[in-house]
Amino acid sequence: MKPIDVLIIGAGPAGLATAIRLKQKFNKAKSTASVVVIEKAAKPGYHNLSGAVIETACLDELLPGWRAADPAFAAELMPVKRDEMYFLTAKAAFQIPELLVPGGMHHKNDSLISVSRLVDWLAKAARKEGVEIQSGFSAASLIWDKDAVKGVRLVDCGLDARRQPKPNFLKGEDVLAKVTVLADGPRGVLSREYVARVKGNINPQVYSIGIKQVFKVPVGHDFGTNRVLHTLGFPNRPDVFGGSFFYSMGTEYIAAGLILGLDWKYTDLNPQQEFELLKTHPLIARFLKDAVPVAAGARTIPEGGFYSIPKLWTEGALLVGDAAGLVNMEKIKGIHYAIFSGMAAADAIVDGSISATALGAYKDNLEARGVLKDMRHARNFRQVFQWGVFMGAPLSQIQSLIPVRLGLHQDHSQTLKGAALKRDIKPAIDRATFAALSGTTHREDEPSHLIINDTSVCQRCRQELSSPCAVFCPTEVYRWKEDGVNISASNCVHCGTCAIKCPFQNITWTPPEGGQGPRYKNM
Amino acid sequence: MNYIVLVKQVPDITRIPEEAWDREKGTLKRGVLDTVFNPLDLQALTFACRMKSHDKSSRVLCLTMGPNQARELLEDCMARGADEGVLLTDMKFAGADTPATAYALACAIRKIAKDIFKGQDYVIVTGMQSVDGDTAQVPPQVAEELGMEQIAYAQSFDFVKGALQVKRIGPLGVETIVPKHYPVLITVIQCMDPVYRSFNRVRSIEATSIHVWNAEAVAADKDLIGSKGSRTWVTQIASVSSQRAKPCAYALSLDELLDRIEHDFKHGSAREDKAVTPYVLGDKTPSLNGEVWVYAEQEKGALASVSLELLGKARELATALKQKVAAVIVGDNVKYLTPALFAAGADKVYMAEHSLLKDFLPCPFKKVIAAMVLEYRPQIMLFGASPLGRELAPRIAYAISAGLTADCTGLEIADYEKGSVRQIAILKQTRPALGGNIMATIITKDSPFQLATVRPGVFKAPVPDASRKGEVVRVAAHLDDKDCATKIVWSEPAFTKVHLDQAEVIVSGGRGMGSKANFEKYLTPLADALSVWLKVKVEIAGSRMAVEDGFIGHARQVGQTGQTVSPKLYVAVAISGAVQHITGMQGSGTIFSINKDPHARIYSYSDHGLAADLEEVIPQLIKAIHKRQGAA
Repeated sequence: MKPIDVLIIGAGPAGLATAIRLKQKFNKAKSTASVVVIEKAAKPGYHNLSGAVIETACLDELLPGWRAADPAFAAELMPVKRDEMYFLTAKAAFQIPELLVPGGMHHKNDSLISVSRLVDWLAKAARKEGVEIQSGFSAASLIWDKDAVKGVRLVDCGLDARRQPKPNFLKGEDVLAKVTVLADGPRGVLSREYVARVKGNINPQVYSIGIKQVFKVPVGHDFGTNRVLHTLGFPNRPDVFGGSFFYSMGTEYIAAGLILGLDWKYTDLNPQQEFELLKTHPLIARFLKDAVPVAAGARTIPEGGFYSIPKLWTEGALLVGDAAGLVNMEKIKGIHYAIFSGMAAADAIVDGSISATALGAYKDNLEARGVLKDMRHARNFRQVFQWGVFMGAPLSQIQSLIPVRLGLHQDHSQTLKGAALKRDIKPAIDRATFAALSGTTHREDEPSHLIINDTSVCQRCRQELSSPCAVFCPTEVYRWKEDGVNISASNCVHCGTCAIKCPFQNITWTPPEGGQGPRYKNM
Repeated sequence: MNYIVLVKQVPDITRIPEEAWDREKGTLKRGVLDTVFNPLDLQALTFACRMKSHDKSSRVLCLTMGPNQARELLEDCMARGADEGVLLTDMKFAGADTPATAYALACAIRKIAKDIFKGQDYVIVTGMQSVDGDTAQVPPQVAEELGMEQIAYAQSFDFVKGALQVKRIGPLGVETIVPKHYPVLITVIQCMDPVYRSFNRVRSIEATSIHVWNAEAVAADKDLIGSKGSRTWVTQIASVSSQRAKPCAYALSLDELLDRIEHDFKHGSAREDKAVTPYVLGDKTPSLNGEVWVYAEQEKGALASVSLELLGKARELATALKQKVAAVIVGDNVKYLTPALFAAGADKVYMAEHSLLKDFLPCPFKKVIAAMVLEYRPQIMLFGASPLGRELAPRIAYAISAGLTADCTGLEIADYEKGSVRQIAILKQTRPALGGNIMATIITKDSPFQLATVRPGVFKAPVPDASRKGEVVRVAAHLDDKDCATKIVWSEPAFTKVHLDQAEVIVSGGRGMGSKANFEKYLTPLADALSVWLKVKVEIAGSRMAVEDGFIGHARQVGQTGQTVSPKLYVAVAISGAVQHITGMQGSGTIFSINKDPHARIYSYSDHGLAADLEEVIPQLIKAIHKRQGAA
């Protein structure tokens, strides 16, 4: 095998930005150093889900002249012209005056695009620069030599449901590289292994889940185009952090979603059903009249902010994008930080350099690009919402003035015995249909990639908390059957919620064979 | 021994995104669809890699035809174990139908044999069909062009004392076939556990191990490739609406319900009945002349039902054309079958008998029938799209340079006019394509013969009229041992695989069944009752959820990740109707659903519904069926 100089795990915005910037640099220096990206999805973009409203300055810097070079793609990015925020009660909607909306939450002149489309396009741009993108390979673990990262080990392929090798068994291969960049997204399996060892974060990382659907609407539909609409309030109780978004995508589609902080206390909160409930609100129902759901998916978002960022480099490895927790909740954005962090990482990697000292330039580059400055400004943003939306909303406006660091509790610890929403919803879309709309598939006789560490814990959880996993999983992977939790791993959309929110931390999320999972094209 | 595997990139039809449809024109924008490794070709590659592992000195070479982008498919193959790749790419190949494709591939294979294998023996391994075209014509036609025998429906192989033996599903059951000489072409129907891509192999591919050839490099005759070499024309594409046209009906009583189901089962669901105005030739001069022929296939000493169905259709076509209907029968001692052919509507029977025609082998059968066609020149010849028909018809079509449309669901006589082209009273052939997502209307061009295969059960067999008589034309079969390149050494009639796709009635249960015990308690007796009442074999199946919960085995899973079925009657019990399931069963003739949730999605796809609790209603239903049985 040809040796690999820089190995990037995950072909999302961060990983691809790293790859593009690096290869540009190598090409300019006439270096033949190789940049290889591996991605567990069958194709780049299939596992990427976001709103998304993005600030495009990062693309101007990464790929100067991109608009002129690809006018068809540039036309897909629709500038935001209408930007509204509403507070919803069960029956009514109140528009929040623009003046009261925090500065970071203004989106006019930002661009609307599906992140799976953006990633698909970035992957093409990367290949043009000479980056090798190998999709359909899942990495299982990091290879360490003392405290230095030497590469990754891929998953074993061809095991049957009882983990016995089949005739096509292929043992997980070792992929070695001088530098490994971890761009495996929120709570990625490898970045999690990295953080457990390298540490460096002061607060624990916390997450939210985003439930998303894409609707097809008739041309000339009421919602209009170039429009961004956010809501707070209904269906969430004041003590559930979250809100929804409705974005026009071109002239025929609306992207909509509900984001909920995973630190909710309710044992029976079902985010997919909460979204269905939101769809029944008069304001939303009006917009979604004649709208046909054509795609669905879910993903977690790292929300902890500045104090949850771990040490971003070690010998032989760097963390970028969501894997590093670079999401700014004040702006509800992360894609441009992902791209900027990738560029900052690429600038720190000198051909052949693996030492932590050299890679340490990464932090300075992040500072120079203003990424850390924004993150620092929002350092206490997520924390103030722990006290509910009525305290959190006003406090969030002045959170940057709070002189001390506010702490965070891990999401799983917040589930409270006896706390229940007791919803009675007749959903338009159930969880099985939701799973089908995500296009997810897994080999049916594959060993479950979701592992219950101790089944007796599930019994205890059943008694004390009524098995929340059977309710919160957006695609109903977990179901309580007479004597235990039954797992339909093939419905999994790789959102990661279960491993984060299981109250007893009894679920281990391992990567399944490559090329499986959801197939998002316009998410 | 070396191996050439034919591979193809196909559009991913398992999930067609909304934006890929042009709803106004009713067409699919293929450019929007993802491309994937044709799943059956991946099985062929696995088959070849496993054969290779018996002899380390052998090589596996993958051959594909397509645009430059298809190079990534060859890289994929090499990551899985192939040693070399050949990409056949040239604008001149564009617009090719199956014979034009087969010819181009055969030219490349000749060059591979000469320049790369340097005269060493080789075996061609292919998948049965591609999921986009779904015709299964290219492999037999490649074999025909290269003059070699085909071993179709291969399941496994063995090397006995170094000699290759292939197990395949044939008319006699599981047959063990030994090639008498090489090269030979094997089409693989099933090879479980496809080889994985190895990351190390991906990164070890040398650019020089992929050869890129154009039409000139393989010395292809420019008149035989691309659209110029094609014998069929797609004249129209229409979408098949995923919503069934007729709303679900809820009967007032179980008896009324059973009446309707019985009616639909016997006469087809009303939604399929279309008023067809018969074609009137009048005083127009038809573009083609000749009789309408049907190949009479035998099944364990009797005529295959599909052949009788086709005779009925042929009668209709021949009446419109003012021509005679003839059946073609070949075999060893088959004269006793001719009265049944006359009774089913044949005016004439062309019969060839020879001891070498006792068991079906494509080469000798093709030789005899192709000679008959060239001598007696029918204008239309129909075959059942049975396993045998799918092996035989493509080779005959290729041998006589005729067009062939596979798996037709509609045949009619019509005139065709477009630009300077004007054809009178030709055969308009309609078939599903792209996994049943669209219907294509196809006509034959530049050929005096129009050939088509038709899926069993599409047309109704006529009521036999024993008083009908006709003329038997004996045709000599000139065959000797050299015409048989393979030999059947062993056959065992047992079938163990579950063939849900061939079932006439399927009773399927979902997650709402609750337990494996309930499957046995309710579905088994319901299936038995239906079987006795409708006098057919009834298969039991399940949705993915039911399979996951262990209520029923994976071999009986219906849906996107299971089997696709189209029985005459599909009974869905406690199935919610997720898209994944609907995809696998929406082609069923009549769909009857039992679900306690009256808003269940399954009802949008059903003809008949019973919104009730299954534990209560199924015993009543079984009782009602038994009562009918007793009365009848």
